[in-house]
Amino acid sequence: MRGLLFILALSMVAPAVVAEDLVVIVNPKSGVSQLTREEVVDVFMGRNRQLPSRLTALPLDLPSSTAEREQFYRQLTGRSLAEINAYWARLMFTGRATPPILVSGQDESLLMVMDNRSAVAYVSRSRVNAQVKVVYEVGGK
Amino acid sequence: MNLNLFRHSILTGTVIGIVLVSVLVSVVFLTITSTLTERNARQDVTRHLEQLLETVGDTASVACFVGDSQLANELVAGLMKNEEIAWVSIEADKKELAHAGREGADGRMLAPLVRQVMSPFTAGEVIGSLTVQPDAAVIERAVQHQVRVRVAMLALQLFIIVLAVTGIVLHLIVRPIRALSDSLHRLDAREGEKLLPPRGHEQNEIAVLTNDINTLTDSLVSALREEQAVRMAREKEERKYRSIFENSTSGIFVANAEGSVLSSNQAFQKLGGFVLKEGMALDRLSHLQWCDPEQLQRMLEQCAEHGECQSRVFEIGANGGLWLNVALTSIGDRQVQGVVTDVTQSKQSETLALKMAVSDQLTGASNRLGLERHISEAVAHAPLQSFALLLVDIRGFRQVNESMGMSAGDEILRVAVSRMRGCIKNSDWLARMGGDEFVIVLHGVGTREDAARVAGRINKTLARPAEVLNHPFVIQTNVGIAFYPVDGRDLHSLLRDAGFALAKSKLSGEKGFEFFEVAMIKDAEQRYQLEADLKLSVARNELALHFQPIIELASNRLLGAEALVRWQHPKRGMVMPDTFIPLAEQNGFIREMGVWVLEEACRHLAAWRAANNSSLYMTVNVATPQIPDGLPVELAIEAADRYGVPHDALIFEITEGVLLSDFNKGLKWVESMRAAGFHIYLDDFGTGYSSLSYLKRFPVDAVKVDKSFVRDMQSNASDRALVQAVVAMARALDLQVVAEGVESKQHVELLVEMGCSRGQGYYFSKPMPASAFLEKML
Repeated sequence: MRGLLFILALSMVAPAVVAEDLVVIVNPKSGVSQLTREEVVDVFMGRNRQLPSRLTALPLDLPSSTAEREQFYRQLTGRSLAEINAYWARLMFTGRATPPILVSGQDESLLMVMDNRSAVAYVSRSRVNAQVKVVYEVGGK
Repeated sequence: MNLNLFRHSILTGTVIGIVLVSVLVSVVFLTITSTLTERNARQDVTRHLEQLLETVGDTASVACFVGDSQLANELVAGLMKNEEIAWVSIEADKKELAHAGREGADGRMLAPLVRQVMSPFTAGEVIGSLTVQPDAAVIERAVQHQVRVRVAMLALQLFIIVLAVTGIVLHLIVRPIRALSDSLHRLDAREGEKLLPPRGHEQNEIAVLTNDINTLTDSLVSALREEQAVRMAREKEERKYRSIFENSTSGIFVANAEGSVLSSNQAFQKLGGFVLKEGMALDRLSHLQWCDPEQLQRMLEQCAEHGECQSRVFEIGANGGLWLNVALTSIGDRQVQGVVTDVTQSKQSETLALKMAVSDQLTGASNRLGLERHISEAVAHAPLQSFALLLVDIRGFRQVNESMGMSAGDEILRVAVSRMRGCIKNSDWLARMGGDEFVIVLHGVGTREDAARVAGRINKTLARPAEVLNHPFVIQTNVGIAFYPVDGRDLHSLLRDAGFALAKSKLSGEKGFEFFEVAMIKDAEQRYQLEADLKLSVARNELALHFQPIIELASNRLLGAEALVRWQHPKRGMVMPDTFIPLAEQNGFIREMGVWVLEEACRHLAAWRAANNSSLYMTVNVATPQIPDGLPVELAIEAADRYGVPHDALIFEITEGVLLSDFNKGLKWVESMRAAGFHIYLDDFGTGYSSLSYLKRFPVDAVKVDKSFVRDMQSNASDRALVQAVVAMARALDLQVVAEGVESKQHVELLVEMGCSRGQGYYFSKPMPASAFLEKML
């Protein structure tokens, strides 16, 4: 049993160690240069989608199967995907808040951000290009 | 088991006790229970709510995080489905996100549960609050329900316990006690019945109790028996004393110091009834006719106040004459108990006895005791007043008693007393000293003349002829006289002195009375000594016979001799018969002396007759006291025969006194002597009574004319006539005559002329000793 737990822990830590840092990116035209963690949480968790530039943010979410999605929520809220899913399950019932829009992958995320000034997405640092602006470094600093 | 009994039974007590204790305990228990239950309920509710809140925490967190009031309301509605909640409120960002309450809910007394709602993503960030108010009514209901259940259970428990206890108490205690009690009711312990322990309780405390009851019963029964025995004994005693009190012949009463009779018995009422004052009741002692009521009252007070027991004889009755002995005993409280006895009879007897004690029953005169009292009273009363004491003795009284019987003696004494009474004054005192001795006290008589006059009168009066039991009788008396205070100062010495005088008078026999003289004491002593010596005279061989010849006057021939006793006293010399014969007669020595004389006379006569004169005879004097037993015929025959003296040669001379003392005995003796062949001469003829009738009836052989007549015969014509008459009479009766005191030839011639054949006297010879007689006469 102990052995099993150890393996589980290993399997969970290992990707973080090996994975890349994730960053939150926006369209440079969005008028946002920097976001705090709380602002990132509010946006992604449906609490407050209004950006400091008065734009209504359109958060993008990677598919559940991706390691980045997992890594993102873990690093941002300290919660597992299951917990995040449960959170959204509660909110979806009332319809007061909606989850981020699901995209097919980081590419689509980049595209969407580059294309839409309201879009807010998380990607690996290595994927960041000039058309997007990093406003928050997940798990950094 | 009736209701009342039930009400006070152990069972009820036990049940009530148990119920009360149980209820009390239950109340306490329930109070605690309800408190605990309430707390538990509250805790339960709180815990429940907390759990509830826990479960909704995430949702609330989400709702608050997002500010989703719909979700919050959903949450609240969901919570409100829980009955324990009064209201619920969710706050986020200081404003109420959702609220729901229940109508009728009670939010009192319970603090609302406030739970902070934390941000789901940021640790430690408070984003709102969730407040839940628990419903008190729910808790209360829970508590009430719990309490109800508990109460119901307790009640059930209590009921079961009471039932059980009732059963147990009934079975173990009440029934055995009832059974015991019933047995006790039926038990007759006096018959020795024992209590048995109820069945099934033979070993437990009930059995012990039963034994204890039996032990107690036994001791009670025995105590009761003892008590009963004691009570019965006491009752018996009480009845006895009551009966003694009631039936006592003595009157018994209880009175107080004032003389009120408080209680009395029948005898007292009867006694008192006789001497009750007219119209008075027997409620006070003073209502009786006491002769001296003050004395009774004094005695009563003394006894009541000082507790002195007193007894005294009281005279009582209207005129006295009744005597009651009253004995008082103090019984305390100023009361006395009195015992009253009628002593009238004994008082009378006492008086009589007192009189009897001092008087002579036969004659009615005073006795010696009476005389003693009289003298001592007289002496005490007037010590200087002289009186004469006369001691009177009747001469020959003993012989009268012996010959004529006691009744004759008594008659003589009575006659003597009545005659003596006539000779003295009323103030004088007459007492009989016993036998034939009397004492007469002549008060105021101090001279010999006066006393002699009375004594002479007494002798003379008594000597008057009397007839006793059809016999003529003459009371001859001697009197001894002593004077108070000259001769003696008390009765003893006076009697002694008078006795001396009387003795002298008896001896001299002339006047009939003598006065005491001091010399008499010496005489008496001498006489006493002489008497003592006389009794030894025969043994000491001091007596001797002298002989006086008896001569035939006509022929001057010796016929015989008269034997005369002489006493050669070792100190006094020759003592004359006149002195010692009366002494011997008085003390009875005469008999011994008479036997000796007979022996001696026979011895000499036998010798003389053998020597010379075979016809010689001998006369022997016989005194009155010797007849008949002092000198019986058999003795005379034996002595005469032993010496070979023919009976007709022995002659006994007797005096008239023999005939006077006891005629019949004397006559019988004389006749038997004559029948044996002895001759009897009558001596001293003419000096005494010389009754011719006696001579006729008395068969004597000769009379001896007393020498006093013969001696003066020549000069005194009457003496000569008397001698002549005696001689003539003797010759007429065919009796010999012997003249005594022949002193001259003229006497002889005269006597021969008168016809008197024999004589004796100094003319022929004086009495002489045997040797001289033998020499001169034979």
